[in-house]
Amino acid sequence: MNDTVLVLSVVSAISAGTPILFAALGEITTERSGIMNLGIEGMMLVGAITGFWIGVETENAWLALLGGALGGILLSLIHAVLAISLRVNQIVSGLALVIVGSGLSAFWGNSGDRPTLVQTKTGVRFDPIFPEVIRDLPVVGPVIFGHDPVVYLSWVLVAAISYFLYRTQTGLSLRAVGEDPGAADASGLSVTRYRYVSTLVGGFGAGLGGAYLAIGVIGTWAAGLTAGAGWIAVALVILSGWRPWFALLAAYAFGALRSLGFTLQIAGIGVPSDFLAMIPFIATYLVVIVVSASPTRARKVAGPAALAKPYSREAR
Amino acid sequence: MSKQFSISPRAVPSWTLRVSVPFAALVAAAIIGGSILALSGSNPLEAYRTMVDASFNGLRPATRTLTLATPLILTGLAAAVAFRMKIWNIGAEGQLYIGAVTASGLALALPTSTPRSITIAILLIGGIAAGAVWAGLAAIPKAYFSADEVITTLMLNFVALSFMNYLIFGTVSYWRNPETRYPEGLQIPENAKLPMISYRLHYGIVIAILAAILIWWILRRTTYGFELRTIGDSQEASRYAGMRVNTKILSVLALSGALAGGAGAIEVSGVVGRLDPHALSTHELGFTGIVVAAVARLNCMTVIPVAVLLAALMTSGSSLQRVLGIQPEIVFFLQGLIFLFVAAGEFFLANKVNITTKAPTRLEVDGGLTGE
Repeated sequence: MNDTVLVLSVVSAISAGTPILFAALGEITTERSGIMNLGIEGMMLVGAITGFWIGVETENAWLALLGGALGGILLSLIHAVLAISLRVNQIVSGLALVIVGSGLSAFWGNSGDRPTLVQTKTGVRFDPIFPEVIRDLPVVGPVIFGHDPVVYLSWVLVAAISYFLYRTQTGLSLRAVGEDPGAADASGLSVTRYRYVSTLVGGFGAGLGGAYLAIGVIGTWAAGLTAGAGWIAVALVILSGWRPWFALLAAYAFGALRSLGFTLQIAGIGVPSDFLAMIPFIATYLVVIVVSASPTRARKVAGPAALAKPYSREAR
Repeated sequence: MSKQFSISPRAVPSWTLRVSVPFAALVAAAIIGGSILALSGSNPLEAYRTMVDASFNGLRPATRTLTLATPLILTGLAAAVAFRMKIWNIGAEGQLYIGAVTASGLALALPTSTPRSITIAILLIGGIAAGAVWAGLAAIPKAYFSADEVITTLMLNFVALSFMNYLIFGTVSYWRNPETRYPEGLQIPENAKLPMISYRLHYGIVIAILAAILIWWILRRTTYGFELRTIGDSQEASRYAGMRVNTKILSVLALSGALAGGAGAIEVSGVVGRLDPHALSTHELGFTGIVVAAVARLNCMTVIPVAVLLAALMTSGSSLQRVLGIQPEIVFFLQGLIFLFVAAGEFFLANKVNITTKAPTRLEVDGGLTGE
């Protein structure tokens, strides 16, 4: 029963969706403060190569994950300085991050002859945490209890960020900064500080996602291994309406699309994989239009009002 | 005594500043990139000399650089013209693919007896029109529902890429060569190929330069261009002044998409010779066009030398590997650094930063006045 096509699909959807989920959770936090960072793809790649490198050097999967997150944070710091302090156009700065990140990671990752994580497998992977008896339970075994600890970490993060944004004073302040920085500033909140921290949280999420993709999902490094996962995360933030729990669902749905081609083939239904690859992007395109066209419903799922608008006190 | 920074907006930056800030950005990028090269055990000066040699020294390298510069001029213009109106079309990538699909389809469909000039004209117009229509998918929601064009144009890129991949790798389509084992596009007939100037440089470069002059003229010398720039400065004021903002959104996105679609058609007709998703997507010509436009500070004539510069950078990657054994991806890192520093430079063009050293005033000693 545990190896039915459906169960296997759900398991692989969760596995494929987790890196995207980390990146999207980070970006939700960033965008809630009014900063748009389109550089997720670049930050994920830098996170992946940093994580891979530290994994090979230390043979410790957790240090590798942490190192990947740090790599993402460093790259997001560039975006923070440009977008917040220098008020550079955030689209331009984010795209620059993609080019810098993919160029740097490919240059670094391909220089010299580094062994792959598969070849140096001593400990550099995550093992499932639940005992085999529980993991062998029908259906819920593999779907709920069969994952490695990082997947559970992502569930904890979803709950934590959701609680933070909606149930804490600081979360409320963060959202205020993203909705109306002028008013937030007047009420004594430091717009700059909130935006800096949440931009770095975005880098943390993307770096973590990239590192987990390299270590936990693919198990090796290859230049450009994200293959557009960062862009899917950008789409996912919008589709989820900037809400963490919806991001979880959407991440697994997109994860399922990545493995669905195989499943459908088994079922004898021929849907070209290129069309499956389009679905996240078409869905996001349509959602943006529908939300914009319906002002009454838009308020609930539209983005922060001050998203991608630089804030300058002098120009208030 | 205390050091103080004060930032004040500048109305119009001086001519020297407009030249020196981007130049300083290039130097800064070269220094950081050189440091990374040095850290990885290569000699940066040797690397830079190899790069210049590989892209400019001799007719063959120079023509190779100009061949790559051709689509970059067009996608650079596509970004510049839209960004001038603060319409953030980041969908040139997808518009280029759709232009290429259309142009190669037309080239395969037209009878081989059609005169070369007519064939080329038809496939160029087809590519241009297709690019404009694809941009229209973002322009119409933008004009009528103010749907954010950043997201819609971005999403449409990936749809276009998957569609192009499908035509070659997903099915035996009209575009695909049915005889080859490995999926690849069908060669377009000789009469659909742009004539060559020298080596692999084709007449597309002339079309691109003429396009730059045309767009420059439209922006500078026509009412349309004036309105476009005014709307870019203030959409509200322009609407109040009676300008038809919605029509402008539609037309500027169509124009932007047309330029990118034209680039796709020219790549198919002048370089690739068939619908080849790998060859068309490998340089990310649409995204790189945004870099070109940003470095050129949205000036249509400056787009030409900037496109040549970035093309030189990109073509030199393979020589770096061959001559010095340096990973070619360093050139993308350098390109990203140039982009970052130029973007940061915009702040110093738009604002004056005064650093003054002065004795504290009485108000500051007392704790000062609160607020502004």
